[in-house]
Amino acid sequence: MMRKPLCLVLFFAAALPWLSLANDGGVLDFTADELRRILQHGPWPQAWSHDPSNRVSGKRDAIDFGEQLFFENRLSGSGKLACGSCHVPERDWSDGLARGEGMQTVDRNTPNLVNVRYHRWYGWDGAADSLWSQSIRPILNEKELASDPKRVAELVRTDAELACHYTRTFGQPPAAVKDDEALLVDIGKALAAFQETIVAARTTFDEFRDALARGDRAAAARYSIPAQRGLKIFVGKGNCATCHTGPRFTNGEFHATGVSFFAGKGRVDPGRYEGIRELKSSQFNLLGPYNDDPARSTAVATQHVDLVQRNFGEFKVPSLRNAALTGPYMHNGQIGTLREVVGYYSEINVDRLHADGEQLLKPLKLTAQETDDLIVFVESLTDFRTNWKRSKGGEPTCK
Amino acid sequence: MRTEWLAVLAAGALAAPAYGCVPDLPGAARTLKAGRYSVAYRAVPDKLPVSQHFSLLIAVCANPGAPPLETVTVDAQMPEHRHGMNYKASIKRESASRYRADGLMFHMPGRWEIIFELRAAGRTDRVTQSEVIE
Repeated sequence: MMRKPLCLVLFFAAALPWLSLANDGGVLDFTADELRRILQHGPWPQAWSHDPSNRVSGKRDAIDFGEQLFFENRLSGSGKLACGSCHVPERDWSDGLARGEGMQTVDRNTPNLVNVRYHRWYGWDGAADSLWSQSIRPILNEKELASDPKRVAELVRTDAELACHYTRTFGQPPAAVKDDEALLVDIGKALAAFQETIVAARTTFDEFRDALARGDRAAAARYSIPAQRGLKIFVGKGNCATCHTGPRFTNGEFHATGVSFFAGKGRVDPGRYEGIRELKSSQFNLLGPYNDDPARSTAVATQHVDLVQRNFGEFKVPSLRNAALTGPYMHNGQIGTLREVVGYYSEINVDRLHADGEQLLKPLKLTAQETDDLIVFVESLTDFRTNWKRSKGGEPTCK
Repeated sequence: MRTEWLAVLAAGALAAPAYGCVPDLPGAARTLKAGRYSVAYRAVPDKLPVSQHFSLLIAVCANPGAPPLETVTVDAQMPEHRHGMNYKASIKRESASRYRADGLMFHMPGRWEIIFELRAAGRTDRVTQSEVIE
């Protein structure tokens, strides 16, 4: 456990020529430590296997059914809203608003859905521990779709197209499922199967990272110098990579970074604190009866998550992949642009941090060029070619 | 993972402490003196990951005169960041001297302190070990 693997040593030996090269106009002079940190942000895409808690995860029929449901307005209490009303494909599966607009304005920014299949926790507060249970939350939430299990179940039982999809996906007609809640969970699982297919494409950063890994200097030199300088800040003085770790640029956990948790007049958003309480009391969590995996192999986090006072006002660290497309930023959408986000951390007011909070955060005091470089780097984590289209134009597909 | 040798020595840790018993744990990464007991552990997986759950296999032996061990707990903290883990480890006793701790996670890179507490006869012996996670 305590020895560096031989392959790592060999890698750094192979990388030594890089270390001795000053900037020749193509590739900056990265230290061995910087190289090691950079390589930890890949490769991309990450390996993935089907979700064992969802028996239809990865199945073609479930993906088709999930896509149909995702844009189905009749799932909502009003009949006018669908998942896709806020998670808009053309807006990188978010809505471009500071706070989501469902049946009412919600307290939080609409998270984008790119790469959700890799998440450990869902929502800014992590109140759901699986993609299928998260898919149920907005359906029932009175500020979002404001529906209920009976309405959803009746719709799927009585609509020929949806009933056909259900039968193909789950192997029995929905009319055979008498329990409305069980049917709602199946709808969540089909929705999850569809959302699992939403994965960010490779970016110019990924090409650079992989070129470094294989020692391909010519390919690495295609990555712009400002982006490389921004990357140095990201893994160095910016300390960004302490929370925005790994290939997804998030540790998937929760931190308080001084962003206001006042949700409105006289109201606060407790963030992770309430998220854990909701998780533990939910019949839809991975320890509950709807987990399709008898071994509970993905329930380790749920079994061990610990509620402590410092969770109050903590929110999930967002992934930075496609970040250039996902503004406004922060859990409440209070920051409009990437430049303002960088400015926030550059001048962060430590007096706003919890007394028992993270001691890592200090004003970065970035220069104008450093700010520009960091923004160029974060933009390089974005695939701007996203052009998702509904399969078969959204026409009925099940007979 | 880089070893914090000074912290190891400060904690009284040696590969095989001459002043105490040696816990039976093949492949143990650390052996620590913990008051009336000695503790050895290794991680599963071998390399401690960032932001992924891992387990610790733990073996404990009692030094001469020590009472029978009652409970073992494992926790961890990041002293420089002033926070602990987001998860509470569960401990299973697998045999008379072996334990398994599940559900640990180091959610940030940097220096973590693993904390072992061994309780017996109304007293707790505590030992910490630094690990730098990269």
